[in-house]
Amino acid sequence: MSQNDPQWGGRRNDGPPDLDEIIRRASQRLSRFFGGNRPSSPGRGPAGSAGLIAIVGVVLVLWGASGLYVVDERENAVILRFGRYVNTVENSGLHWHVPWPIERREIVNMTEIRSLEVGVQGSTSTSDEAMMLTGDQNLIEVQLEVQYTLNSAKDYVFNNRVLDPSGRDMIVKPAAETAIREVVGKSKVDYVLNEGRGQIAEETRALMQELLDRYGAGVSIARVNISDVQPPEQVQASFADAVKARQDRQRLVNEGRAYANDVIPKAEGAAARLLEEAEGYKQRVVAQAEGDTARFKAVAAEYTKAPQVTRDRMYLETMQQIFQSTTKVLVDQKAGSLLYLPLDKLIQQTGAETPASPAQPAPGAAPVSTAPADTSSPERGERFGR
Amino acid sequence: MNRILPTLAVILIGLFVLSLSFFTVDQRQFAVVFQFSEARRVLSEPGFHFKIPLLQEVRYFDKRIQTIDENIPARIQTIEKMNVRADSYIKWRIVDVGRYYKAVGTDQRKAVDRLRNTVNNMLRDEFGKRTVQDVISGKRDEVMDRVRKVADVDASRIGVRVIDVRIKRVELEDSTLTSVYERMQSERKAVANQLRAQGAAEAEKIKADADRQREVTLANAYNKAQQLKGEGDGRAAAIYGTTYGAHPEFYAFYKSLDAYKESFRKKSDLLVVDPSAEFFKYMKNSRAGSK
Repeated sequence: MSQNDPQWGGRRNDGPPDLDEIIRRASQRLSRFFGGNRPSSPGRGPAGSAGLIAIVGVVLVLWGASGLYVVDERENAVILRFGRYVNTVENSGLHWHVPWPIERREIVNMTEIRSLEVGVQGSTSTSDEAMMLTGDQNLIEVQLEVQYTLNSAKDYVFNNRVLDPSGRDMIVKPAAETAIREVVGKSKVDYVLNEGRGQIAEETRALMQELLDRYGAGVSIARVNISDVQPPEQVQASFADAVKARQDRQRLVNEGRAYANDVIPKAEGAAARLLEEAEGYKQRVVAQAEGDTARFKAVAAEYTKAPQVTRDRMYLETMQQIFQSTTKVLVDQKAGSLLYLPLDKLIQQTGAETPASPAQPAPGAAPVSTAPADTSSPERGERFGR
Repeated sequence: MNRILPTLAVILIGLFVLSLSFFTVDQRQFAVVFQFSEARRVLSEPGFHFKIPLLQEVRYFDKRIQTIDENIPARIQTIEKMNVRADSYIKWRIVDVGRYYKAVGTDQRKAVDRLRNTVNNMLRDEFGKRTVQDVISGKRDEVMDRVRKVADVDASRIGVRVIDVRIKRVELEDSTLTSVYERMQSERKAVANQLRAQGAAEAEKIKADADRQREVTLANAYNKAQQLKGEGDGRAAAIYGTTYGAHPEFYAFYKSLDAYKESFRKKSDLLVVDPSAEFFKYMKNSRAGSK
């Protein structure tokens, strides 16, 4: 027990205790224990008795002062009278109890966050501590951190032996180990590795709290945090591959989507082109028809007024145009003699590939299509046989 | 001055004797008063007590819940003859200090060993009836509860109450460990293959669906396009039909002229012409028209 002897003289600025008051209260309390004030011994010699009284007085004052103690904001003090629990002082500030051997105090830090780790490498524990079996009989390494505070100084001090002789914590750590293993033992490995971490931490916290309440430990678990979950080293590669496979699946799906996103819009584009072209064709055809017919109608209107003349004019104009722009051979069939037409020569000179077979000289004109003829030879141009 | 020292000495001696004849029992303790190594009084309540100085001595026993947790796993076989190592902790408390003292004296080690052996034997019994699976997940609570009950009955003989027995760790032996790892690897492989196959299948579906959409889109467009063209052709035909139908004879003439014009327009077109054609009738006879 540390004796929090206050140093006299301005220890605190917020109202230092009235010392006289304290001593007076102390003597009152003492009188309760010793049944009234002690009778002052009759002075044998003024110097001797005065010295004795002074010494006894000083000793008494010092003894009384040893009952002064300060409770911090974060602390509670447990007061025992002759070993029996009396009360817990929760208010911070300067307090006094009847000094030892009548009353004792034990000051306990309540709100300080204490923490411990399970299965963390590099601490005193081995890596074995982190190994756990899951419900589907997979091994897994789980590391967790536990943070806790005290919620009852009395329970904490009196109900459990917190430390074993070698100074190990015997309350929270064993509870943490058994709780996490029970929770993990009921879960599937994938759940522990992936989505279940928060839930497992929460269940572990609840189970730990239940156990500690059962032991009346006066401890409240503030937080359980699963800091790391790993498959064991020997199988990490295959677990990593399984994780990669999940990515691969996503990748393949994305590639499929990419293909679809490429193909479908293109098809839609092509479809739109087809429709537009069709629409264009339709309008073109109709417009052409309208144009053609308008032209025809105009001519036909004139034709009805003077059919014969218009006919002849049109015919002659057309023939004129044709004969102007083509090569002609005029053959009078009544001549009787065989006419030699050097068609092959003509064709050779024009470099045509295939002459169209000469049609029957019909009343009209028989076309012979050849390649472009050389029009610069007038003597071969037009001959008139008789 | 000559009075002060003796007085102080008397006071100090008095205090010393007092301290020998009184003792306090803490809330956390049992106290047993011994006289010549024989237990005279058992004090289970805290407080201020008197003893005869020098003749009697006091021994204290812890009243709080204590923990046995040595991290020494016990080798245990399960029903499928699998060896596991089970590690547990025990929470216990002295309730009957007289009985406790008779049984183990002041050596707490004895009590601890006894409790530990009882619990480990019970664990062996319970594990021996169950599969590893049950011990780890399904029946863990049940196992612990039964072990606690039996251990408690046994412990009450030595004045101890077993508050709780909890399994901490169940470890597999190295030989089983290898096979467990192999199984885990094969499980992962199965999962990985399944995932990849699923991905491939899904991708294939998406692609096929896209192809189908493309085909359908194009076919529908073609359908629509042909309809449009047909409409155009139809309307054009109707226009031609109504107009030309009004002048069929003239149309034939007109169109023929057009066709001739279009057909014979290049120098390469060779015409072999009979002068008896209509066109040449005035070439031979200037009065042909007035016949």
